[in-house]
Amino acid sequence: MTRTEQPEVGTGASPTRDEAEALIYRECRLLDGLALEDWLALFTEDGLYWLPVADGEPEQAVDLVSIVYDDSARRSERVYRTLHTPVLDQNPRSRTVHLAGNVEVGEPDAKGDTRVFCNQIVAELRPGGEGQLGLNTPRIFAARCEYRLRGTAEGWKISLKKLLLIDSDQPLYNLTFVL
Amino acid sequence: MVLVPEKPLDAALSELVREDDETFLIHTDVYTSTAVFDAEMRTIFERGWVYVAHESQVPLPGDYVTGLIGRQPVVVSRHEDGEVYVLLNRCRHRGTVVCRADAGHSNYFRCPYHNWSYANNGDLVGVAQATGYPEDFDKSQWGLVRAPRVGSYRGLIFANLAAEGPTLEEHLAPVRRYVDWWFNRSPLGTITVLPTAHKYPYPGNWKWQAENGHDGYHGNYVHESWQRVLARAGEAPVKEIRKYRQEGCTRGFANGHGLLERPGGLNPAASWTGRMMAKYPQYAEALHERFGEEEIEEISARRNIFVFPNLYLFDTQLRVIHPIAVDRTEVWLQVYALDGVPEELNQGRLRAHERFYGPAGFGAPDDVEIFVSNQTGVQARGVEWALMSRGMHREEVLSNGERIGHSTDETPVRSLYREWKRWMGA
Repeated sequence: MTRTEQPEVGTGASPTRDEAEALIYRECRLLDGLALEDWLALFTEDGLYWLPVADGEPEQAVDLVSIVYDDSARRSERVYRTLHTPVLDQNPRSRTVHLAGNVEVGEPDAKGDTRVFCNQIVAELRPGGEGQLGLNTPRIFAARCEYRLRGTAEGWKISLKKLLLIDSDQPLYNLTFVL
Repeated sequence: MVLVPEKPLDAALSELVREDDETFLIHTDVYTSTAVFDAEMRTIFERGWVYVAHESQVPLPGDYVTGLIGRQPVVVSRHEDGEVYVLLNRCRHRGTVVCRADAGHSNYFRCPYHNWSYANNGDLVGVAQATGYPEDFDKSQWGLVRAPRVGSYRGLIFANLAAEGPTLEEHLAPVRRYVDWWFNRSPLGTITVLPTAHKYPYPGNWKWQAENGHDGYHGNYVHESWQRVLARAGEAPVKEIRKYRQEGCTRGFANGHGLLERPGGLNPAASWTGRMMAKYPQYAEALHERFGEEEIEEISARRNIFVFPNLYLFDTQLRVIHPIAVDRTEVWLQVYALDGVPEELNQGRLRAHERFYGPAGFGAPDDVEIFVSNQTGVQARGVEWALMSRGMHREEVLSNGERIGHSTDETPVRSLYREWKRWMGA
């Protein structure tokens, strides 16, 4: 592939912590507002949204089963499904509050994308009528996260969003919202 | 040795399933009564054959996985003699569990309380400060208790806590040829379970999952969202998916087994195996080397096979049902690789699995919503019977007891409940 065919070549620069935080906080706001189509635009075309069962590097995930292993097509499908099809598992929809903290800017990866580490706590609730099992109960999800950010002509973009839930290998009920 | 004491059951429990020539009814207590749940655990799970693990999870001596038979904690352990032992996870001294990890490798199991140590076959090999017992203390009498019967079929390990009763071979016999065809999608006839399982809990009875895995009636409604996703991806228009979902059949068997079947064939448009054979010529070649044309036709049919009471064989996973309480269940999806196929083929299966199944998939969570809605709905009483009669008037009964129904009929679920009723009256 020649260079001109690659739409998103990294600038090679690293984001400051302020820049990384701004992007992650913006993502939190988009997810909590269910602005999922805008959320899609935060990723690079080769970007990966990944929730592993066991910790590891994204390259290993191809031979394992992950909770979520979304490339661009799958992310777009996830958003389409959530917003535009008659889903049961998001009817009623999840209300979420995403909280990100402990943000640290790390070293670049082999592609030159900058690793950014943070922790996330996500509170979630699906509202419903009295006595409805599975609804009306707030749930808390805690994850150690790794982002990889790439500088592009359109600003910083996400080439990896990895969340390792503390209960990633435990029975997990309805994770059909975006964490 | 019978580990579970015989206790006369309330004879009324077997009356919770009623069948006549035209009607098949399930009483609400089947899903809501703690007495029913206790009886199920005491009989079906703790006196019958239950699935515990797959051989590929414990390939080497010292490998183990822990689990439950009904409510009883067990260790499935590979000993140095190469045999798999299913051991009650309970120190013979004071009752402490001797293994708390979900899986691992160990040369022995050591009780953390007073340091009693057991070999991988359960033999008691060490007692701390042994002078506290007489010199003739017979350690051979104080090993971890083994499940009296353990059997393996094509790598599927089953255990039975009752010493007497039908053999595993007899238990599986009615559904065996379909299980064989299912395994033979691998040219080697074997699978390897991957270490990263999907697990989901739900606040509902275990039988909602058992009933649903071979239900061919709900797809167009519960999975309309999924059908639209497939249509958007250009894989098939919704109309064609719905036509396909009318094809095939359901089958019900003696001993509670059942399956949902979609027709096979080598036409890539019609079957997954056909598609894979067209895409990976070496896979087609490997299958042709071992099987004839007619057998490949059978192998390529897609089947969700229920092995009573706690195992489903699915396209990408062994689905194991863990009843926790009358209104609480955990389901484990043990995803496996087909052995002897191109790596890319298995990778494609893993991506397909992640796309549909699991807690964040585009299909299975919709099913779970139904299980939970069922459990909420059956709290409404005065409507005591659920109707499981669909297709009774049109199902075919073979001389061996196998019943064949329309792909949307409740033929397999009736088999499940006939066996359930038999246990409750036992």
